[in-house]
Amino acid sequence: MTGRFGTAVLGTGLVAAVASTLLWLRVALLGVPARPARVATGATLAAAGAAVVALEVALIGHDFGVRYVAENGARDVPLYFTVTSLWAALDGSLLLWLVILAGCALLLALRRDERAGLLRPWAMAVIGAVTVFFFALTFFAANPFTTVDPAPADGPGPNPLLRDHAAMGLHPPVLYAGYIGLVVPFGYALAALLAGRADRVSVAVLRRWTLVAWSLLTAGIVLGAWWSYAVLGWGGYWAWDPVENASLLPWLTATALLHTLLARRVAPGATGLSAWSVALAGSTFLLVLLGTFLTRSGAVASVHAFTASPLGPMLLGFVLLAAAAVLGLAVWRSGAFRSAAPGGPLLARDSALLGNAVLMVVLTAVVLTGTLFPLLAQAVRGSRAAVGPGYFNRAALPVALVVLLLMALAPFLRPDRAPDARALRLPAAAGLGTAAVVGLLSRPGLTALAAFALAASVLAGLIQSTVAKAAAAKPRAAAAKAAVAEAAAGKAAVATAAVTTAAVATAAAGNAGVANDAVATAGAEATGAWRRGARRLLASAGLLAHAGFAILAVGAAASSVYTVASERQVTVGQEVHAGGVTVRLLGVERGARGGGMVARLRLAVAGGGTMEPSLRYYPARDMTVSVPAIRSGPARDVYATVLGAAEDGTGATVRLAVNPLVGLVWLGGATAAAGGLLAAAGRVVARRRGVRPARVDRRPAAVGSA
Amino acid sequence: MRLRRLAALAVLALLLLAAGAAAWRSVRPQPETPATVAASLLCPSCQGETVAQSQSPMAAAMRDTIAEQLAAGRTGAQVRQWFVERYGPAVLAEPPPGGLGVVLWVVPGCVAAAALAFAIRARRRRAAPAARVTARTHPGEPRDGGRPAAAHGAGRVTARAHPGELREERFTARARPGGGGRRASRAWDAAAVGVVGLVAAVALASPSHRPQETPARPVADRAATLVTLARSLEDKGRYAEAAQIYRDALRERPDDRTTLRLAFTLLRSQRPAEAEKAVRRVLGNAPDDPNAVLLLGLAQRGQGSPAATATLRRFLTLAPDAPAAAEVRRMLRAD
Repeated sequence: MTGRFGTAVLGTGLVAAVASTLLWLRVALLGVPARPARVATGATLAAAGAAVVALEVALIGHDFGVRYVAENGARDVPLYFTVTSLWAALDGSLLLWLVILAGCALLLALRRDERAGLLRPWAMAVIGAVTVFFFALTFFAANPFTTVDPAPADGPGPNPLLRDHAAMGLHPPVLYAGYIGLVVPFGYALAALLAGRADRVSVAVLRRWTLVAWSLLTAGIVLGAWWSYAVLGWGGYWAWDPVENASLLPWLTATALLHTLLARRVAPGATGLSAWSVALAGSTFLLVLLGTFLTRSGAVASVHAFTASPLGPMLLGFVLLAAAAVLGLAVWRSGAFRSAAPGGPLLARDSALLGNAVLMVVLTAVVLTGTLFPLLAQAVRGSRAAVGPGYFNRAALPVALVVLLLMALAPFLRPDRAPDARALRLPAAAGLGTAAVVGLLSRPGLTALAAFALAASVLAGLIQSTVAKAAAAKPRAAAAKAAVAEAAAGKAAVATAAVTTAAVATAAAGNAGVANDAVATAGAEATGAWRRGARRLLASAGLLAHAGFAILAVGAAASSVYTVASERQVTVGQEVHAGGVTVRLLGVERGARGGGMVARLRLAVAGGGTMEPSLRYYPARDMTVSVPAIRSGPARDVYATVLGAAEDGTGATVRLAVNPLVGLVWLGGATAAAGGLLAAAGRVVARRRGVRPARVDRRPAAVGSA
Repeated sequence: MRLRRLAALAVLALLLLAAGAAAWRSVRPQPETPATVAASLLCPSCQGETVAQSQSPMAAAMRDTIAEQLAAGRTGAQVRQWFVERYGPAVLAEPPPGGLGVVLWVVPGCVAAAALAFAIRARRRRAAPAARVTARTHPGEPRDGGRPAAAHGAGRVTARAHPGELREERFTARARPGGGGRRASRAWDAAAVGVVGLVAAVALASPSHRPQETPARPVADRAATLVTLARSLEDKGRYAEAAQIYRDALRERPDDRTTLRLAFTLLRSQRPAEAEKAVRRVLGNAPDDPNAVLLLGLAQRGQGSPAATATLRRFLTLAPDAPAAAEVRRMLRAD
């Protein structure tokens, strides 16, 4: 029953998506009203939402007659992980994909016309085409609702790795939201190519969506790293695995895109977008699609690829089709979008922003080549070849260090001039000092040392510039407030005078007009100050993201070079030492847990406390999962895992690791994501407040013509 | 004043000197640790995980081997070579230098060069006109975003700089007078066909319309690899882990000899009941295999079964000259 309903809903969604694409295209081409198109977009979301609800109902109700539930449900899985098993395998996660995609489309469709830009109908048609493809894929090739007959009594449950950690409820939806949110910049970029130009509002919409999607993607990636750290049990969080790389690739180009959109000056001509922005927005979503293909087709081996499916060829076909469309359009419109490269000195603001874009593109090339290399080797030599962390670290980290260097300069960049050398004294000193102290006390290696030094100068520079700005901002805001008060008092006085005599009334009216204008101007002044404040907040929010990455760099460098681990086979009562931490094996408890076997170790930590890592065997999936025990502290994490346990409970193989400063990675990632979201919020606020000055600006002309 | 400047210079020199010394210390080559070697090898029984990462018993055993060999004075390269000889070049996490691996450096290099060239060319091309255009369209723009009046002015200028956009209603074909309408509706027809075609393509390509083909798994010789590994674990006396790996190997490729090794390791890790179950599978195929009979007898004996004596006697009649025969006779005498 649920199955049939789900299939019907998916079919409806497919029809609605087709309708919505074609209706938006009519709006774009023929200029007809957008209302029917909006309704179709809404219907698409409703269908996607209903499909998700139907599958959740089937999962929670253990309706094993539905294929997806039979493959991924189980009676002994806790409710929370039953709900999250919607995205534990490909077919269900496609539904999540659809609902987010349709949600983005509807959010964009519901904006008022003047706030959505002239490119919106085109962009909606592009997004619609993407939606049609994914609906068709789900409906024809990966329908989770097909019936299983006879229905099994129980299922194997989701992959064991996906039912142990609370982040499962958060990481995939957030990552998907970031991933799919990038479809809107893609839509606008293609729309700009189709229309051959872009208007200011469209560029603003593009920028805001990029910012929000980028923040969500950042948060999603960091959550994924945290999940990896807490579940996979090897003590690290990033292994340059294809699935991780697939999420990093669009992030890199989206970062570059954000920076090119910040470049103030755009080449003269009708377009409001630079060639860089168009190219980056286009390639970002192409990389999203490519990543989906890589990770969902089983083309590359990954511990995170929880699905290997026959959808590969279709996804690849769509990636190629989309790439061909983007390339074709780009060639067709090659003259329309000029590069935003400025002519100022090399270290002026816009050059630095462009430099960032170049570096990000290089990083993307490194990661993409490394990720695709195994496929190439397979095709050329017929044998598997792997590209491990070593290559990525050697090739990508030096480029990342240059990015950090640009970040250190960021707060001091000026539109037309190189940064003031005097302002750079403090950051430079902080960097050199850090390098000296860290390098003389320990030997972290050149890359890590450079990372520490550059991160220190980034943070020092940010603090210095924030303090300077705060000091400069105070008097101005006060002055603007005083101006408002004065003008308001003046208006009241004039109004009173106007009531007293008719003879003066006309003049007074004129005066009132002037006073009104004065109020408005002062108000504008105040809003101007407010806007400047908001803009400053926005700039600081962007810089907050920089601070986040500096923090992240410190955490990543420290945890990769200072981690100490040891692995020992111990019997009860024996000890394992690592990095000044000692644990003693108190005992091994074996037992059954939900149909599987569990071996739980009790380890006494010297200095108080116990840790209980465990080894779980899931017979339904024939998988053993080692669940680490982590004691997090501000300075270091103690990380214990079981590698094996003796059957009789007398001993076990224990891995004990001490990971210093790994918490900074999560803190830095969270700060960066928060910075991005704040910047987006700052833009919204600045825009809302910005409405009034625009009206005021026109008023003098109106008065003059009256 | 001059004193302060001198002091600042002194501080700078000191910082540079100290940072330089720190960097020099860091540049010196560091010996390879078990962790770095483990990160450069792939765990053969995992999905693309390095030995450093994987929690599988196989990776644990490989980490042990790496640590032992490094402690015995072998270099990282020698350890890697040792593994390549046993598991083939696929065990390396990095492609070997030279050959196809060059692609990894050439492609990003080319992309970097192209991006840089693109940026520089644009910079050159724009250098002259940019200055002129800026001066014309942004006369009031503040040099440093400083004075409020100037910033206010800039807002107005920006608004005026884009007057056309506010008036233009839509980027549509209808905005163009004349034959645009027909062209537009033709374009719409084409797009409609395209969208329907996309749906049809997906429908036709979907697997339900084709014979289901299971994605080929790169099994190659995983079973053999696993058996080799389990043997090395056995040699170290880590029977429980070896048994686990034999089970993995059997899942890949059922094989009587491997099943017997599994039974043996199970016996050695005090799990006679499981060992008996494994042996009985082999005896189903080959009822007179002396090794199987021996292991069955030992497994029965481990469980205190009275049938043990008869089974062991049967082993002695089947293979009176086997190396284990003497030990079995001693055992039977002792009982």
